[in-house]
Amino acid sequence: MDGSTLPAVAEELLREIKKAFQESSHGTDTFSSRLKFIFGPSAVPALDLVDQRSVTRVVAPSGRTLYQVLGSSGKLYTCYSSCHFCTCPAFGFSVLQKSESLLCKHILAVYLSQAMGACQELSVSEEQLTNILLTEEEDEG
Amino acid sequence: LCRGGLAERLCRLQNRERSAISFWRHQCISDDKTPSDKSGVLIVKILEIFEECTIQVAICQQLEQSPVTLSPEDAVINAQKPILKVLFARETAAHLKSRPQDVIHIYPPWQKLLLRNADAPVIMNTYFSQKVLLSEHSEAREKTYGLTKMLIRKNIISLAQTFRLDDLDDKLHQEPSDNQVPCAPQIHNNSDSKQHPLALSAVNDSLLDMVESQGAVGWREVQVQVVIQRVYCLPAREGCRSHTQGNKPLLSNGGMFCRLCLLVQDAYGMFSEVQLQPLSSTDDIEQYCRRWEGKSCCLAGMKILQRTTRGRALGLFSLIDSLWPPVVPLKVPGQSQDSEMMTTNLPPPSFCYILTVQSGEIHVEVDEEEQISNLYQPPAVHGLKEILRIDACNERCSFWAQVLYRRLQTKHNVPIDQRDILLFVTDSTLQNVVHGIPKVVAVSVTASCVLSMEIREALGAGSQLVFFKDALWGNGRIICVERTVLLLQKPLLCLAAGADLSKLTGPVRLDELDSTTQANSICALRGTVVGVNESTAFSWPTCDRCGNGKLELCPQDRELLYCNQCSEAVTTPVLKMQLEVFLSCPSRSQSTVKVKVWHEINLALFVLLTMLLFLQTYEVQSVLGKEVGLLNCYVHSVTSHPNCVALEEIVLL
Repeated sequence: MDGSTLPAVAEELLREIKKAFQESSHGTDTFSSRLKFIFGPSAVPALDLVDQRSVTRVVAPSGRTLYQVLGSSGKLYTCYSSCHFCTCPAFGFSVLQKSESLLCKHILAVYLSQAMGACQELSVSEEQLTNILLTEEEDEG
Repeated sequence: LCRGGLAERLCRLQNRERSAISFWRHQCISDDKTPSDKSGVLIVKILEIFEECTIQVAICQQLEQSPVTLSPEDAVINAQKPILKVLFARETAAHLKSRPQDVIHIYPPWQKLLLRNADAPVIMNTYFSQKVLLSEHSEAREKTYGLTKMLIRKNIISLAQTFRLDDLDDKLHQEPSDNQVPCAPQIHNNSDSKQHPLALSAVNDSLLDMVESQGAVGWREVQVQVVIQRVYCLPAREGCRSHTQGNKPLLSNGGMFCRLCLLVQDAYGMFSEVQLQPLSSTDDIEQYCRRWEGKSCCLAGMKILQRTTRGRALGLFSLIDSLWPPVVPLKVPGQSQDSEMMTTNLPPPSFCYILTVQSGEIHVEVDEEEQISNLYQPPAVHGLKEILRIDACNERCSFWAQVLYRRLQTKHNVPIDQRDILLFVTDSTLQNVVHGIPKVVAVSVTASCVLSMEIREALGAGSQLVFFKDALWGNGRIICVERTVLLLQKPLLCLAAGADLSKLTGPVRLDELDSTTQANSICALRGTVVGVNESTAFSWPTCDRCGNGKLELCPQDRELLYCNQCSEAVTTPVLKMQLEVFLSCPSRSQSTVKVKVWHEINLALFVLLTMLLFLQTYEVQSVLGKEVGLLNCYVHSVTSHPNCVALEEIVLL
């Protein structure tokens, strides 16, 4: 059987969470345990990031967006919106290198924040958005 | 983890599940037979296995289902032996060591998920799974297989495959675009509020209720009535630049824009900080303070920005602590108003919600005509003498003082309006005391304390009486930080407990230089000239119109001076002189006192010396022994080895 299963499952799960949050403000424990099953050790840290409203959606006038997540250590990580990418070391290791996880806790926090309406919004200029992206490059370089 | 947050709930659930799983597995092993309860058990036969990100995906055929869970649809499908995709977590997979053709029993509580593209249903949360051994022969086979590692195909998931949480249905419920310009809160009178476009429901009086109803149907229409305890500005992040208010320049704090904020309290005592729109430089924070503090207001359609706790927001909580305990009895949730209300011994709040407005809608209605609420606690104004005696750290304090001298931080890579300012202030409670306490107090204004243009100009101009609202006192210093407001007008309502708001009579006196004088303070001194540091003497001409010290030679006439700030020649320059002298001061006789004096030739305070310098024919001998009268100075540094005090002469405002 070709094609992957897990992303479709994860997407459906997040959609259900979003629907549940729109209808009542509380997610049930069912979602929590499913999240844990699919995302494993990232689930609790991701929910913690959501509880603390650590996710900000950064938008430029052209419509380009990215996400910034304030990690527990106080560091700010950038997550792309067009593909799954995060600047945290866990992403580089678990997702890119070992393919052990679908997402890192920051990207999961981004999705959960979207689903639960817990994203903070920040409008910036094109230049500022570019600077955020370039800074990441410099750090890694 | 946030108490009561989603993460904590999941943690607890996880712990319960984990102990249930290990107990179940232990039971299976020890009993050496499958548990008798067959209801809800899913029986599957594995056809194919592959792995995706440590989750094992098994394409299975459903064999049979126990009669309890059989439904009419299932009965039909069953005949065709339906295909299922069963997911196993890494630990379960390791425990099972499944192979194709194995039969697995999956015990409840497993969960089924149907995917949109009508693929095979997905079975998850399969923690309670067990392999069924069909015959003795297979048991032996099991043992040998256990030794050889089976290779399972691993699917690599593409990073380009993102999750889309929206679909056509969702677009109907989507929130309005954030590109809309937020409206400034209008100052309503009572008649306007009747024409309000928002269909608002009955007014609630609990902030916690409003917060908990977030995301629920109709949450935008929920109104909460609260009391505005404080109004202030907070420096916001740069991103607000896109919200322009017409073409008015926004009130900036050196690259950071400022938002109008309210600290509100509901009838149950809970606080919340509400962040409103950015202020323009012409907006007057004083007006908002005067018109809004103490009044009731209705909040609607707030968005939760953050739930913060004492440990994370010390500044906010020091302000909340200054408003605790409340001055009127608080309501107790869940009880009718007739029952006794608790007010005594309530601990101060440990958490606070930070709310913000949704763009494009008016959400804050302040009833300005109404009286001041009973719950309002105006700032307690004290005399500086009392404040210096407070034996606590990080206490918010308010006082009314005269600014004597202002000094800007000298970091040149920081823009002027982002630099810290050091103010030296006094009031009658300090001036009228003979000895024991200092006559002047230093107040440090950090860049995070938002100052309006008016205040900034006033601080540099003549001697001003300034009201410092909610400054921080701690470690022997007063600092103005976020949420401190500096106002020029006398507060209308304040608890003047021991405060003396009278103007200072007579000239201001500074403390005299003595053994307790510290660096970065101001003092007065008198002494005798004992030496002159000739190498520091120099003079330079300045423009008499604008004070520019960098004059150039006129291109047309090389004998005239030219000021490029005024774009004119300077015919009568003001000569400024600077010199360091060593004094012997009886009040601090052990130290070498070095004073940098500078003068404009028009102010002949130190007449003999200035004349000598100007003529460039001074004789040090004739200066030595001259008495220097009471000089106001700023102390640059105080060192013990060598015992030296370096000062600079200043002019008080």
